[in-house]
Amino acid sequence: MVDRVEPTPALRIVGVSKSYGASRALSEVTFDIRRGAVHALVGENGAGKSTLVKIITGIVPADAGQVFLGSQAVHFATPMEARAGGIAAVYQDPKLFAHLDVAENIFLGNYPTSRLGTVDRRRMYTQASAALGQLGLELDPHSLVAGLSVAELQFVEIARALSAELQLLILDEPTSALTPAESERLFRIVRTLRDRGKSILLITHRLEEVESMADDLTVLRDGRHVATRPAREVDRAALVQMMVGRPVETLFGRSQSTTAGNEVLRVEDLGVEGTFAGITFSLRAREIVGMAGLVGAGRTEIAQTVFGITPPTRGRVFLNGQPVVPRSPRQMLKLGVAYLPEDRDGQGLIMADSIVNNVTLPIVGRLARMGVLNGSGERRVATQAAATYDVKAISVEQLVMSLSGGNRQKVAFAKWLATTPVALLLDEPTHGIDIGSKAQVHRIIRQLADQGLAVLLISSDLPEVLAMSDRILVIAEGRLVAEIPREEATQEKVMMAATQGAGTSRACRPKP
Amino acid sequence: MPTKAITPAVLAVPRRNLGELALRVRVSGVLAFLLIIGAIFSLRSSQFLTPQNLGVIASNAAILAVVAAAQAVVLITRNVDVSVGSMMGFSAYLTCDFAARHQNAGAELILMALAIGLFLGTVNGWLVAYGRVSSLIATLATMSLYRGFTYLYAHGQEVTSNRLPRWMLRSVDLRIAGVPMLVVICVLVVLVAAVFLRHYPLGRRIYAVGSNPVASLFYGLRPHRIILLAYALSGLLCGFAGLLYAARIGTVTVVLASGWEMSSLAAAVIGGVSVAGGSGTVIGAALGALVLACVDNGLVLLGLPEFWRMFIQGSSIVAAAAVDVFIGFGLRKSLQGRRLGRSAG
Repeated sequence: MVDRVEPTPALRIVGVSKSYGASRALSEVTFDIRRGAVHALVGENGAGKSTLVKIITGIVPADAGQVFLGSQAVHFATPMEARAGGIAAVYQDPKLFAHLDVAENIFLGNYPTSRLGTVDRRRMYTQASAALGQLGLELDPHSLVAGLSVAELQFVEIARALSAELQLLILDEPTSALTPAESERLFRIVRTLRDRGKSILLITHRLEEVESMADDLTVLRDGRHVATRPAREVDRAALVQMMVGRPVETLFGRSQSTTAGNEVLRVEDLGVEGTFAGITFSLRAREIVGMAGLVGAGRTEIAQTVFGITPPTRGRVFLNGQPVVPRSPRQMLKLGVAYLPEDRDGQGLIMADSIVNNVTLPIVGRLARMGVLNGSGERRVATQAAATYDVKAISVEQLVMSLSGGNRQKVAFAKWLATTPVALLLDEPTHGIDIGSKAQVHRIIRQLADQGLAVLLISSDLPEVLAMSDRILVIAEGRLVAEIPREEATQEKVMMAATQGAGTSRACRPKP
Repeated sequence: MPTKAITPAVLAVPRRNLGELALRVRVSGVLAFLLIIGAIFSLRSSQFLTPQNLGVIASNAAILAVVAAAQAVVLITRNVDVSVGSMMGFSAYLTCDFAARHQNAGAELILMALAIGLFLGTVNGWLVAYGRVSSLIATLATMSLYRGFTYLYAHGQEVTSNRLPRWMLRSVDLRIAGVPMLVVICVLVVLVAAVFLRHYPLGRRIYAVGSNPVASLFYGLRPHRIILLAYALSGLLCGFAGLLYAARIGTVTVVLASGWEMSSLAAAVIGGVSVAGGSGTVIGAALGALVLACVDNGLVLLGLPEFWRMFIQGSSIVAAAAVDVFIGFGLRKSLQGRRLGRSAG
């Protein structure tokens, strides 16, 4: 039937689906990973890459579909089983033991032991040196993991993976915390492993890494498999097209541009040592400015710095033309800056308290008369706010944790808007809420801007950013890499800017 | 696994951070502190360095060293055991009461104390590991419960020394080459615990679970079981320590060893065991007990008020905790930090 003998792939993924509640993370994904190949897995934030890795390594079970290792169908229940089967994953935040030394971290699950049942340390250190040596690493197996760099941590994880019979090594955004030199070292090791016949699944946001490293690539979008191709057949433009190629959702309805008012907030050359630097932008009244970028690009950190959570180490902030030094959220709230955190449930709301107490918390000082709170006054404010933002609840005494995600977000809005801010920083305001509430949140944001607020909208949802924003700032690796006016903004353009940062902005940086 | 080595890519320059350094020098820090206070006391009091006084200090430190070791095992798993004193009291009272009724009881008394301690520790471990009760709350509860049961059982009585078997009282007073038997026994117990933690896979896993519980799951360890075992071991050591303490003071009352949770914690923390888990050694904890015993003794010799004992105990805990924070900061930096590009670097 086939004229060409294809060797069995190292890993076959067949019809794998996974849902979390109502949201579908993966639907019927099917592709093969060849033996002895570097296979890149790319896609936007939320495309389903991480879910797929979790299924392959047995962290979560698939709802449907199968994974074949060689010709064998496998269902790993834990990462340990996957490892025993020959699949190991190295995460961007390595899971190691800081207090223990390198050799112990490599052998912990499986110590060489002496006849007395004690750990045979001499053998352990010799074997650890050998494993590290094979990777071309001169790492002292006696040194504590606490003293290693992020790159070295990943090397230790890889050495550990190799101590079992490895078939497939999964690298989940391995270079996101590495310097160019460290990345190059990592990739040298990856190539060595490939040349020894191991398969590598490389998950990355950096398209130049796909170009330089991958033999094959697979694109996921919205949990669906878009394409699996040999990497050399796909150029960067085509790849970006495949990653974002969905039709722009009309749900939000491109909002009318209103004429922007006076400048409310301006930041100049803002930076926090080791996190981001050289950020300059301004927000004007009645304007929504989108902030796009990859997860971990530094957007949240920028907003939190403007809000006073992490004071800046350099740069200046102006509010209505007056210079301010953000020192604490309390100070910035007083000056009229409000921030809706991304981790709404953890940082933005008090889950085990009522709607009324959440809404009035930032303004209890104002509501109190001679230091005593007036319950009916509080309820009046909260009821009004709940009506304005269409919070679906039985009463304002209902606990926030019993509300749906969308309604919680509306309570969070109500809470900060009770402080009557002039600038509103929104961090992923529609993350994890259902479609219906999403449209309502969009309408609220638009209304607020029309009422004269300056809004910064941080979002990883590209269609949302495109539809809502008057201007789009693109952040990559802690730098502002592009500012795109709404007329010129396309998904491709934003994605291109967000993924190109690595090579260009790093190359000129001095090595640490 | 292929054996062909590739040429070293780039020489990894060992870049130690201060956190690692501090972790490594911790035990030597305790030793240095011990020498310093020893030097101060011996300069101020001629009696401090006499063999007789050193014997007294060692005897006073010995049992606390065992309990501090028990506390250390639990602290290393990122938990705490405040019921150590109650476990000592419970096992000591029951065992000694049994001994008072059966005058010819021998080594089975030791087994009984160990068994009671093991049982009480297992209950603690079960509550913390499987009952998902926070360790402070769970052991605070059992601290009261175990002590309460002792009261109930004792019915207002106490076991006086003349009712205890002769051999029991005499054995702790024996001297081997001038060293009190009690000290020899306790040193041996601490050494066994140290070897277990340092050289046995299970001991290493206790460290691993405390160092990074999430990673321990990824490594296929069973953290719940390991925490249960750590508590059981703590109970076992406390049961034994309770019997030793009873033999040493002779009269066993229901309040025996109350307050030891505090001194065992102090000893362990001073000895470099981190309350944040994952680091420290039982040898360090035992040295911490020695520090406390020296301070006690020296202050008595110098005729200083009780306040200074409290002051030194309190401030050394604060100092040790500050070192902990410092180390923790270094660790967080190296394991979680720098996830973003080091743009400003």
